[in-house]
Amino acid sequence: MVTLLRGTLRPLRLFRALPGPAADAPLRTASHGAGLLYPEHIPTSLLQKVLLTAGSAGMALYNPYRHDMVAVLGETTGCYALKILRDQMKRDPEGAQILQERPRISLSTLDLDKLQSLPEGSLGREYLRFLDVNRVSPDTRAPTRFVDDEELAYVIQRYREVHDMLHTLLGMPTNILGEIVVKWFEAVQTGLPMCILGALFGPIRLSVQQLQVLYSELVPWAVENGRRAPCVLNLYYERRWEQPLTALREELGITDPPMHIQP
Amino acid sequence: MAAPSTRALWGYCGRGWSRAMRGCRLPGLRSSWPGSPLGARLLSQEKRASETHFGFETVSEEEKGDKVYQVFESVAKKYDVMNDMMSLGIHRVWKDVLLWRMHPFPGTQLLDVAGGTGDIAFRFLNYIQAQHRRKQKRQLRTQQNLSWEEIAQKYQNEEDSLNGSHVVICDINKEMLKIGKKKACAQGYKTGLAWVLGDAEELPFDEDKFDVYTIAFGIRNVTHMDRALQEAHRVLKPGGRFLCLEFSQVDNPLVSKLYDLYSFQVIPVLGEVIAGNWKSYQYLVESIRKFPAQEEFKEMIEDAGFQKVTYESLSSGIVAIHSGFKL
Repeated sequence: MVTLLRGTLRPLRLFRALPGPAADAPLRTASHGAGLLYPEHIPTSLLQKVLLTAGSAGMALYNPYRHDMVAVLGETTGCYALKILRDQMKRDPEGAQILQERPRISLSTLDLDKLQSLPEGSLGREYLRFLDVNRVSPDTRAPTRFVDDEELAYVIQRYREVHDMLHTLLGMPTNILGEIVVKWFEAVQTGLPMCILGALFGPIRLSVQQLQVLYSELVPWAVENGRRAPCVLNLYYERRWEQPLTALREELGITDPPMHIQP
Repeated sequence: MAAPSTRALWGYCGRGWSRAMRGCRLPGLRSSWPGSPLGARLLSQEKRASETHFGFETVSEEEKGDKVYQVFESVAKKYDVMNDMMSLGIHRVWKDVLLWRMHPFPGTQLLDVAGGTGDIAFRFLNYIQAQHRRKQKRQLRTQQNLSWEEIAQKYQNEEDSLNGSHVVICDINKEMLKIGKKKACAQGYKTGLAWVLGDAEELPFDEDKFDVYTIAFGIRNVTHMDRALQEAHRVLKPGGRFLCLEFSQVDNPLVSKLYDLYSFQVIPVLGEVIAGNWKSYQYLVESIRKFPAQEEFKEMIEDAGFQKVTYESLSSGIVAIHSGFKL
């Protein structure tokens, strides 16, 4: 918040993107070459971030199938929360390792055969089952573009890729009810404004019965588990494929969901 | 097809002859001019001329064509929606003004290049049909003593309302043409139009074929604008008119500041939110800045052989309509 205010008070920073491009083009963002912090980076000014936040929030509500809008919302609003997350990760030994080694979860980095061969009940096997049952793939995550710090860009990318792991840990499917429950869990865990907004405004499109179930049982369970569990971004999932899911849940203090939700 | 050899010859006559030599696909021609006094200039210009701009980026000329193709392929579906959002609907007025300046008469053969989604073509057909209806009304009013049956018969005569007018929509991008065809079906345009896949730098038409050649918001995406202008000159009939509607330089400093702000801050955001595509719209606003100003473009049109070239700036110079005649 303070950094945002400081940003607005500095003259010309309103329209210039960080890192500031040459003086001859104060209103133009440099999206080629030298200004990029990472390959997919698009430098944006504060005004653009504000417009993107408003636009992506509106579009995500208007068309819930625009997952890329939710992602953009997370990137433009998350600068403060991401810093806190990154510092938390640095303090934890496993988290620090993740920050150093920067593992990525995608179809090219996952060894699907090895995961298939793992015993039933292990994290790897259950994750694969989750991907099959819900017909999702880890490659549908868009790369980070609007975060103006290279390490924070990795943190939010990791958060997105770990999102599927959370579904597996919590036993939630990828329908709208399951997603909202996971968002509540993530909101408590990460404090990202996008998660908080998603958790608060996601239920707008639910029926009354679903809302009842959500608020009476699922949300209290998710919040309680979110508070109790250590930061889920600190887990090096790639090294824990063989660990039984139940053991991992016990380690994190995650209890079984109060009811099973159909995928 | 007459196009390649005539284009090569054209290349020698026009200003861009050195580029035409390089781009010419007949290997024999190059070696047949070994003692050319301008051979030295050819070599020294070689390195610089093979690069061009893609927005603010520098790319090779071969790359630019592909990159532009990809941009329009990805924006095709949301092209019309985005046009309305970005220009707040004003692009419709600009295109209407283009038609009013064109003032086509029944029987006009129009070639609309880079006509993709058909905006100009549909307006052309509407204009001709509206003209026809007005003519019908005028005729009826002058004939005061008709009986009701005769009047009803006049209206019933399903005579060709276009009277031989025809528009050919040519675009290099298949996706844009697809969207255009869909629109034509949806809006009920069945006769008087043809859809052709073609490159503005090398049109698949014979010379002296069309009365009017238009290119609306397309010429800045062409890699070699001089070639496109030469092609325009070639396919027009003598007496034919060249019309170009394109973004241009703003003359008013205040408007220019606001326009810059809007272009660079708002338009890519709109592109991201509505079409999920930031980079294409960044290219759009950058390519507008790279396009020559009104006077310079007028000179380019004159170089291609057009005469009585004029331009008219609309909206303080945000767009300009350039017009020239093949005489």
